[in-house]
Amino acid sequence: MKISREYLCDGKSVAVSAEWIEGDRWRVRVGDQTWEYHAVALGDGGVWLAPVGQEFDRSFVAYGAPAGKEYMVRVNGRTHTLAPPGPRRGRDAPGADGTIRAPMSGTVLDVHCKSGDTVAADQTLVVLSAMKMEHKLTAGLTGVVQSVAAKKGGTVDQGAVLVVVEPKQTNHE
Amino acid sequence: MASNPPFRRVLIANRGEIAVRIARGLRELGIESVAVHSDSDARCAHVMQADHAVPLHGNTAAETYLDVVKILAAAKRSGANAIHPGYGFLSENSTFARAVIDAGFVFIGPRPEAMDRLGGKKAAREEALAVGVPVIPGTEQDHGDASMIEVARKIGMPVMLKASAGGGGRGMRLVERQQDLAEALVAARREAKASFGDDRMILERAVFPARHIEIQILGDMHGHVVSLHERECSVQRRHQKVLEEAPSAVVSEALRQKMGAAATALAQRVGYDNAGTVEFLLDEHGSFHFLEVNTRLQVEHPVTELVTGLDLVHLQVHVAAGGRLEQMLAGKDLRPRGHAIEARICAEAPENGYLPASGLLRLVKEPEGPGIRVDSGVYTGAEVPPWYDSMLSKIIVWAPDRAMACSRLSQALSSTAYLGVPTNVDFLRRVVDDAAFRGARLRTDMLRLRPELAAGPQQGPEALALAAAVLCQAVEPATGGNGGPAAAGARSDSVWRELEGFRLFEGRR
Repeated sequence: MKISREYLCDGKSVAVSAEWIEGDRWRVRVGDQTWEYHAVALGDGGVWLAPVGQEFDRSFVAYGAPAGKEYMVRVNGRTHTLAPPGPRRGRDAPGADGTIRAPMSGTVLDVHCKSGDTVAADQTLVVLSAMKMEHKLTAGLTGVVQSVAAKKGGTVDQGAVLVVVEPKQTNHE
Repeated sequence: MASNPPFRRVLIANRGEIAVRIARGLRELGIESVAVHSDSDARCAHVMQADHAVPLHGNTAAETYLDVVKILAAAKRSGANAIHPGYGFLSENSTFARAVIDAGFVFIGPRPEAMDRLGGKKAAREEALAVGVPVIPGTEQDHGDASMIEVARKIGMPVMLKASAGGGGRGMRLVERQQDLAEALVAARREAKASFGDDRMILERAVFPARHIEIQILGDMHGHVVSLHERECSVQRRHQKVLEEAPSAVVSEALRQKMGAAATALAQRVGYDNAGTVEFLLDEHGSFHFLEVNTRLQVEHPVTELVTGLDLVHLQVHVAAGGRLEQMLAGKDLRPRGHAIEARICAEAPENGYLPASGLLRLVKEPEGPGIRVDSGVYTGAEVPPWYDSMLSKIIVWAPDRAMACSRLSQALSSTAYLGVPTNVDFLRRVVDDAAFRGARLRTDMLRLRPELAAGPQQGPEALALAAAVLCQAVEPATGGNGGPAAAGARSDSVWRELEGFRLFEGRR
């Protein structure tokens, strides 16, 4: 049995796989590195992991679970959210590509732009109310508003496109 | 305490962790609990914890937990004798308290008249002045935006805008520049209107640096009020508390007595007869200034419980039934013992502007061990709906001293996992491990001044994390892969196919 995944790591796609050897032993490949690990599911969602040969000083318990298309894994008290290659989800770097999406389901309180407006990166385009707080969604880049889908008072689902901004061409590369 | 339960059945007009905690406290007293729930909360932990449950159809807070008519109908239908409002929602709404009483139920909270006199910021400031408690320069007289801007001009920037009817930080904002005030007023009023149905504002000078110190008070119907000492809640983000502790590292016994006396004087003046909190700012010169009164149980009440050994929910129930504090607290040493710290676990990403999140919690692993208490409103498989506050649970630790409490909380947080939606667990641990926090050098604006605490480490995941991720998916069917239980089932089938020839029960055949 073998499972294979691909995750983005510092912008690069890394192939990761785990291949069953015998008992609780697995062969793990991360890019071009290979290790052997003992892996024991603890029954509470946690997995005890120990490199073969270093069971007594390099072992740890990891917790992992999918979060939408991503996979969250908690190792040594730190949570890593691993994304598969492909377009990033709306809640990451909102607006950085000029598409302003609803970071979560909510109500549109205000729309501060219209088609054709020139907007600055830190300019608030839409005010969204979600989880009882107001969220100002900024353009994220300098450009010209191409389309506005958000309507004041309307409800939107997470990930819905609210505004599209065409990035302004810069003269220097 | 009385051996006969003071009530037969109590409705909890709340949701999530506080409703779970109240239901637990009621059961300990031999009282049946009634949960209410919105449509999306039908499988919420508090519904499972309670003895009975009544649906409030709808999803938004306004059509469910804030709907007085529906809550009262649920209380009637369930045969409850009393209503506990928890915190947030209707807890500080005196109109609700009156409606509860008029409908023939006991309201487990202060008298509506006391709520009116201390809950509203304008009245509370006047009462504070009357008992000689210093208030922050500003105004509670909201005559519209122009007059507020004029007051700001007089007292100087920066200023704090707060909802007159507010609590818990909503509708509150810091304004640093005079030219931003008009826009901030519009937004603050709108948020206040949405949260409290009242857009009136109070404007005060923003005091920096300051520490947030609050006094837990408890009154009964017989004119007694006791101070259960201070909590320090200086670690805040956008006026929402993040970490709370008791006692405060900077409050001496003399200051404790002085602040306790101010808080109880204020409460006694209005005949305060349940649990409440008087909030103060402590400035850099060691002077305290009245901030507001929360006429309800606070989110952070467990830290007081851990250092005093009291159960505030039990006491709330007893005083609401007419119990006498002098009997209930007779022979008890109320001085704080040891040190307690609470961390609020929220479904939000501090690394991404504290953006709140909703979705399915695929894995919940809460910490355990000596001195660790978890007040949780979630479980593995619980859905976090987008409609309400993002707080999932609270991790509270107790230890003999502050240094050990910090160490214990750090350890507890590192063995905690809430996966499936982004949470602030890693952020909380960064703050607890920070030298300023360990050294108790706290100020209310510390997170604003130190954005790197929210941002977190910038480097990507190391190979170990990638290896762990793929191994978790290989051996833990419940949380493996992208496909959920169905895909996990398919995988475990394939394990048995791989193991062809291996007979599990061979010896028994």
